Amino acid sequence: MNGSDRDSQTICAVSTPHGVGGISVIRISGPQALEVTRGIARFLPSKVETHRVYFGTLHDPQAQEDIDEVLVTYFQKGRSFTGEETLEISCHGNPQICQSILNLLIAGGARSADKGEFTYRSFMNGNVDLVQAESVLALIESQSDKAQKLALRQLKGQLSQKLESIENDVTWLMAHMEAGIDFSTEGLELVSNDIITIRLQDVEEGLKSLVQSYRAGRILKDGVRIALAGRPNVGKSSLLNLFLEEERAIVTDVAGTTRDVIAGDTQFDGLKFTFLDTAGIRNHTADIVEQIGIKKSREAHAEADVVLFVFDLTVGFQPEDEELLKQLSEAKPFVIGNKADLLKEPTQTPGFEKLTQYADFAKRNLFFVSALDQNARALILKEISKRFSQTDLQDYVLLSNARHYENLSRALSNSIRCQQLLKEGLGSEFLAIELKEALIAVQETLGKRFDDQVMDRVFKEFCLGK
Amino acid sequence: MSISQYDVIVVGAGHAGVEAGLASARLGLNTLVVTTNLDRIAYMSCNPSIGGLAKGHMVREIDVLGGQMGLAADETCIQFKRLNASKGPAVRGTRVQSDKQLYSQYMTNQLRNHPNISLLQGEVKRLILEKDLCVGVVLQDGSEIRSKATVITAGTFMNGVMHIGLTQTPGGRVGDKASVGLSNQLADFGFTVRRLKTGTPARLHKDSIDWSKTLPQYGDEKFYPFSFRSERKFKLQQVACYLSRTTEKTHEIIRANLDKSPMFCGNIEGTGPRYCPSIEDKITRFADKDSHQTFLEPEGLNTDLIYLQGISTSLPEEVQYEFLQTIPGLENVKIVRPGYAVEYDFIEPTQIWHRLETRTIRRLFLAGQINGTSGYEEAGAQGLIAGVNAAQSVLGREEFVLSRDQAYIGVLIDDLVTKGTNEPYRMFTSRAEHRLVLREDNTIDRLGEVAISNGFVNTESIQALRSLKERRSTMIGKLRSERLFPVAETQEKLTNLGTSVLLKPVSFEELLRRPEISCSTLHEFGFEMDLDPNVSEPVEIEVKYSGYVKRQMELIEQSKRLEELRLPEELSYKEIRGLSNEEVTKLSQVRPRTLGQAQRISGVNPSAIQAIMIHLKGHKKLKEVALVGESRITN
Repeated sequence: MNGSDRDSQTICAVSTPHGVGGISVIRISGPQALEVTRGIARFLPSKVETHRVYFGTLHDPQAQEDIDEVLVTYFQKGRSFTGEETLEISCHGNPQICQSILNLLIAGGARSADKGEFTYRSFMNGNVDLVQAESVLALIESQSDKAQKLALRQLKGQLSQKLESIENDVTWLMAHMEAGIDFSTEGLELVSNDIITIRLQDVEEGLKSLVQSYRAGRILKDGVRIALAGRPNVGKSSLLNLFLEEERAIVTDVAGTTRDVIAGDTQFDGLKFTFLDTAGIRNHTADIVEQIGIKKSREAHAEADVVLFVFDLTVGFQPEDEELLKQLSEAKPFVIGNKADLLKEPTQTPGFEKLTQYADFAKRNLFFVSALDQNARALILKEISKRFSQTDLQDYVLLSNARHYENLSRALSNSIRCQQLLKEGLGSEFLAIELKEALIAVQETLGKRFDDQVMDRVFKEFCLGK
Repeated sequence: MSISQYDVIVVGAGHAGVEAGLASARLGLNTLVVTTNLDRIAYMSCNPSIGGLAKGHMVREIDVLGGQMGLAADETCIQFKRLNASKGPAVRGTRVQSDKQLYSQYMTNQLRNHPNISLLQGEVKRLILEKDLCVGVVLQDGSEIRSKATVITAGTFMNGVMHIGLTQTPGGRVGDKASVGLSNQLADFGFTVRRLKTGTPARLHKDSIDWSKTLPQYGDEKFYPFSFRSERKFKLQQVACYLSRTTEKTHEIIRANLDKSPMFCGNIEGTGPRYCPSIEDKITRFADKDSHQTFLEPEGLNTDLIYLQGISTSLPEEVQYEFLQTIPGLENVKIVRPGYAVEYDFIEPTQIWHRLETRTIRRLFLAGQINGTSGYEEAGAQGLIAGVNAAQSVLGREEFVLSRDQAYIGVLIDDLVTKGTNEPYRMFTSRAEHRLVLREDNTIDRLGEVAISNGFVNTESIQALRSLKERRSTMIGKLRSERLFPVAETQEKLTNLGTSVLLKPVSFEELLRRPEISCSTLHEFGFEMDLDPNVSEPVEIEVKYSGYVKRQMELIEQSKRLEELRLPEELSYKEIRGLSNEEVTKLSQVRPRTLGQAQRISGVNPSAIQAIMIHLKGHKKLKEVALVGESRITN
């Protein structure tokens, strides 16, 4: 047994989420998994069967005391998630119990698993492809229900399936292209350019739908990024506190107090929302710190998925507000009239007529609210989440990983360029180059092609190479 | 028993043997070429042509590296064609039909006239080995000839068996005996020896053919010789080939006689080439096709023999007669020599290094069909590399290896030693991942300096190569510096050529990028052109496709990262986690030089490459060093 090789050591960790649940599962994986577990699970028969559950009491051999009544499942080498000999102990979900079981396993010769190490081993043993391995990591890190579902779908291999079908199409195209080059003297009956074009369009469509799903996929995984915009002192920070249900931003009545983009997270209806608080924008300010804040705000607006434009109902919709709203129009902002509690008839606010050119209640992109009103939070977040869950995401394969997005975007432009080249009548060797690059991008995403940059990522994410 | 001593012995004088012998002799070594039949030196046993797609590339590479094949083909050309001329610049291939006899004569003279070459007719029965060192050969009469290095280019002769119908005759080619002994000795030594099969069509008498029923196919009028040393002028009269087709009746007869085919009744165990199937194969595998084309090619100017391209067969002679007579033009055909199949031994090429020296016997080099390839050009290329390395080893110099991004020859040899082969290996342009930079037109740019610095070419050739290179860079410089101005006359010419007018002055380089403009139109705008296609072609292509060329160069840079990750020779693949048994076996057998090469071994998955990299990074064993000139041939 080579103990200095980290990869051949036996590892253990709690593999259910942190915190108190009914049951926690501890996983032990590696060549000595059974031996180490036996040390505290004396009840296991001398010959264990794979995929069988054994009931018994864990016992601390040193302290001579029982720890917990547990279920132990045995998976033989080659038939487990990691591909190694694996045992799973289902114990009562108490952090102290879990910790003492882990301590005993470590005392018995196992070591504590690094983040993602089970997945890494599974990947190394060829049980999951790179897309699936990344999904497991995403699952571990997922912060909302929907993100978990997305990661699960990818783990099931739906994204891989879709990519493989694209890979197949590209390979078909390449085969025909190459046959036309290398066997041009053989009098082969080659498929027509029309058919090539149709197949190229199929590839383009497949890639396009994936690339376009990236935004939705990313939103599911990382949450909706929301920027609050508006002139100083219209109450953006108060609204932020309302959304985050906490006192996050400093609220004063001095205009220009918020000078940094403060990010805060909240969950609503299974989605995660990340708020970027932004400095109020005044066109002319002498305060340098405030100017820096304003620059950051503009950047935040550009990065956001949703912009909430806030103005003060007690002051009305002023020309300065309008100017700012115009600048933001591309982001299709939601408009929020704040401090509605201070007015008897908020629609009488100055400039209301002007405002209705940009937003109205019927389109549900205009809200008059008070930052002090708890109901306002649900009202607005519900409208925002509608914008991002109009499709039934269950049925779609979504792209949520930046590396996949980059690769497939490249492949998409290859497939488009390839069609252009075909139209221009350029030699098939150039078409072949585009196809080859597309194939490489798809295969790299699938982990079917070795890419040392991916390895760098793997090293980073899996804490290896020590 | 006589004993004589040479620096290098080359066994065989086919297309590989000739290049090997000449390459060794050019490097100044006392070289012996032994062949069983001195009348068939560089004999074209199959089709009477040199070059073709991807093969033309290799002929040019051989030529720039000092080899003879290109010159011989240019000299004896009776029809010239540039294939794929309408396709892109990288996949164009030069092909010539040669006069078979003159080609063989030309090469024979080259060997006879070289002061460093001795020729000997004889059959090599075995090698003289001192442990793992090859020190010479033993002939059929028992005489021993000693050498410091030996190159075997046995072609289809090792344990060769010819099949016509169900009749089997030992031999490597009609009229020539098989050579027995050598491959058995190698097998006894521990080499994996396997069988391959190839075939050739019938040769017909030209006077028995009704040419009026065939379609003449003429060659190109413009001649682009293979060799930078050749004149751009045909030396011989140019002739046509003739096209005809098989008929339903042909297929019917063949189908009815399949039981007499050695391929179909199990007499042949060797694997034949998928890309060059026999007519029996074509008809069985593509049953829906009711006709196949065939070219009737003259084998020379002073011969009656016609080669029937595309119809290789090993059916009995009477069946060949029967089905040939159903092909238009061949109703009264006279067969001079029936088609046949030949089976022969080859050495699994994963057992040799890139320098073509065997891994287990030092100073023993293999080239040509013995390594599982097919084709004169593939053979010639290996012959040259084996001859050079045999000489280098005797001289105590570094091995000579070409990389995949440098030459098709590099692709050929890397494929062979990395992947091995299950069928006779033929080069295709699609095998070269860097196809766009491995063009026929830029062979000099790729290999000129390599040839000069290794001493492969004489002073005259050095001057020619350097001058071509200079003229190319002069022309590029002019294209960049000289400008065209938007004057009325220019605008009119542009409009007439169907391209848009100028909005501002442009360089001629920019102008040449336009699809409607070619080098030949530039002189209309007052640009003084270098009219030599050896100069203008590569320049035009580099300018027109610079975007793609650049992208390909970037890809080469990327793949170099893996090519530069050197794997330690003592690496034990058994100890690497995550490798399957099959991967461990393959990696241990091939012992790749670099991670890049490991990646190309078939059956080794990307996850295995990851596993190796992780293993090595973990153990800090990965040396990131450049390979060039690093490994020395062990003495």
